[in-house]
Amino acid sequence: MTSLMGHPSGQTVGYSFSQPTAAPVKEHSFYPYTDNGGSTLGITGSDFAILAGDTRSTSGYSINSRMVPKVFKIGGDDETGKGAHILLSVVGFAADGNALKERLDAVVKMYKYQHGKSMSVTACAQRLSTILYGKRFFPYYVHVILAGLDEEGKGALYSYDPVGSYEREECRAAGAASSLIMPFLDNQVKFKNQYVPGSGEGHALQPKKAEPLPRETVEQLVRDAFTSAVERHIEVGDNLQMMIITRDGIEEIFHPLKKD
Amino acid sequence: MPGFDFSNYNRNAALHARGVPLPKATSTGTTIVGCIYDNGVVIAADTRATSGPIVADKNCEKLHYISPKIWCAGAGTAADTEFTTALISSNVELHSLSTGRDPRVITCMTMLKQHLFRYQGHIGAYLVVAGADPTGVSLFTVHAHGSTDKLPYVTMGSGSLAAMSVFETMWRPNLDREGAVALCSEAIKAGIFNDLGSGSNVDVCVISKDKPTELLRNYMRPNERGHKERNYRFPKGTTAWLNQKIISKEDMKNYVTIENLSGSDELATGEKMEVDS
Amino acid sequence: MNHSAFLRAMTDDHSNPSCPIKLAHGTTTLAFRFQGGIIVCTDSRATAGSWIASQTVKKVIPVSRLSRGEDKASDKPTPGLLGTMAGGAADCQYWLRYLSQQCTLHEIRHKRRITVAAASKILANLTYAYKGYGLSMGTMLAGMTPQEGPALYYIDSDGTRLPGNMFCVGSGQTFAYGVLDANYRYDLSEKEALDLGRRAILAAMHRDAYSGGFINCYHVKEEGWVHHGFDDMNPIFWKTKLDHGEFSNVTSQL
Repeated sequence: MTSLMGHPSGQTVGYSFSQPTAAPVKEHSFYPYTDNGGSTLGITGSDFAILAGDTRSTSGYSINSRMVPKVFKIGGDDETGKGAHILLSVVGFAADGNALKERLDAVVKMYKYQHGKSMSVTACAQRLSTILYGKRFFPYYVHVILAGLDEEGKGALYSYDPVGSYEREECRAAGAASSLIMPFLDNQVKFKNQYVPGSGEGHALQPKKAEPLPRETVEQLVRDAFTSAVERHIEVGDNLQMMIITRDGIEEIFHPLKKD
Repeated sequence: MPGFDFSNYNRNAALHARGVPLPKATSTGTTIVGCIYDNGVVIAADTRATSGPIVADKNCEKLHYISPKIWCAGAGTAADTEFTTALISSNVELHSLSTGRDPRVITCMTMLKQHLFRYQGHIGAYLVVAGADPTGVSLFTVHAHGSTDKLPYVTMGSGSLAAMSVFETMWRPNLDREGAVALCSEAIKAGIFNDLGSGSNVDVCVISKDKPTELLRNYMRPNERGHKERNYRFPKGTTAWLNQKIISKEDMKNYVTIENLSGSDELATGEKMEVDS
Repeated sequence: MNHSAFLRAMTDDHSNPSCPIKLAHGTTTLAFRFQGGIIVCTDSRATAGSWIASQTVKKVIPVSRLSRGEDKASDKPTPGLLGTMAGGAADCQYWLRYLSQQCTLHEIRHKRRITVAAASKILANLTYAYKGYGLSMGTMLAGMTPQEGPALYYIDSDGTRLPGNMFCVGSGQTFAYGVLDANYRYDLSEKEALDLGRRAILAAMHRDAYSGGFINCYHVKEEGWVHHGFDDMNPIFWKTKLDHGEFSNVTSQL
């Protein structure tokens, strides 16, 4: 390059105190992940479990689709998922999520064919952890929640980190709006920071005891959580998908959400 | 000295180089549009303000006053659009006073571009300038680095592609007022629904040669909040506390003047905050 | 492709706070030997960056027993070892489970329970083999065998393996050591020892933002381990403050 300054090209005269003289090093790296946004949540009751998620898929400021379900039936007999007794929600990178769901579905089916009985939710939960950890050094970029009914018929919910650490819980929010929904759930499901009025003075004041909520209440909480998350998070919207697992099977409900 | 204070520039650059992230500015990842019609010009904007993926304001105002017949729609850093338009508005007024003439849109546009160019894009204001003046009706875009465009229909912001797609399919020459308003709001709606950075309501401003300017705030409200199914009012006594201190009105009189309002709320002049009912 | 560099770019939130995959981290765990056996105490918080991912993590994992630890407090001791969890939650859960399998296999093959020394060596050999791959774990193994008596080992992802009488591991370790060193005696009674363990965890939970939630307590005895509760720290904190006059820097004055 021709320079009129009498300086070697590429170098500029610096009058400021900072010295960004050398061109910044450009680094190209392998980046195989995309965040497809969206949010999921799960709550258990005494004889049911609910998994819910919005159906928006995003990348950057664009909407890829307004109808990509995030909650799946695992181990069903056909492509409709009939006969399934486990639910899985996946949020994060959709390609990883889909691969994971397909893999767990195959595992649960193979278990049934090989053992002649369906896989328990406890066993499935442990297996899912092992599958996630199997990619410890190239993780599935997902936050998953598994739901079903335990041996006693109670609602069971397991949440995972991307590499498979897991825990059984009563409620969990995951994905883009998890930081908006989780505190709401702590307060409304586990009654955190709520005390029984008049139950005592000062330190004797009794915390409000959490107990399993009825299905109607839980459904209302889920819908309220999502209509509120839609208001304040740009990646959440379009439709709410809710799957409720009970002794009688799995029910799937769709509910419209705001589309802006 | 009036104007910008750069005394923290070197400190911030040094902190940034050490990996301290810059504070996040509220940006109006926005859709703004403008369109000329036979007797004037229409500009419109969505009303969402975001901070990263979080909606900071669901109903903000992105149409800024410059002079009675010159208005701006702003995209980019919220504070920059707000203050730049306010500054230019003042200067336009002073200029009009000293010349004794009505302000011209091209004057305003030139002042904006010269101001923005001087700051080399560091003032993140992306504007649509529209208005009517003695020379006729004009519509411009001004980018943060100082470049400008003059077109019959324009879009800017993160939703500009969605909005432009509407203009490119539906725009025709010699629109009337109603046609221009409908086209602009349709373009904004395309941004609202297809661009995540835009959302909520449509604001419209109609400037015509012979009629006073109309600001149609929330001209469309296509995104009303879904109703809450449960009641989240906590019974009194739900929150635990360690200690309490009661400050009486008499005590407060030591620090502030207290005036009692009569029963009717005529006297209360403060702007009502919007809350969910 | 260099796996460990890639993994670090994707998951290490220490060197790269905006990394895409946030893993659960942050902890206070402790274990010490005394006249009546071994006390093992932990907090229950899991964090991913500044986000509290969970307040109910079970950081004491029963080893050499395949059923997962959802153990109710009871006086009946359960035979076997205890492992603790600090660092990556998944790494600890997975490898301690792997260790359980190896311990069970050992029992089947040799018709006797594995020693703590041998179990800890399986884990240490494993972490050493994976050295440099980016595993993150700081774990303690506690157990009592006829050969060794009460035995305590510290194993971490660098490949370190140390026998010892007292360890604190995690981001809150220094706070716990402070309390433990000041009040520890070998001839502590069982109740005193449990209270000291709880008090040390409480101190760490109070001062370390990455520790908190519930205090989890275990006692390892000759016949096996006994679970001594999973208790909310808040009432314990106020009880400690009001009944014993500690934490007097915390006031409710307005």
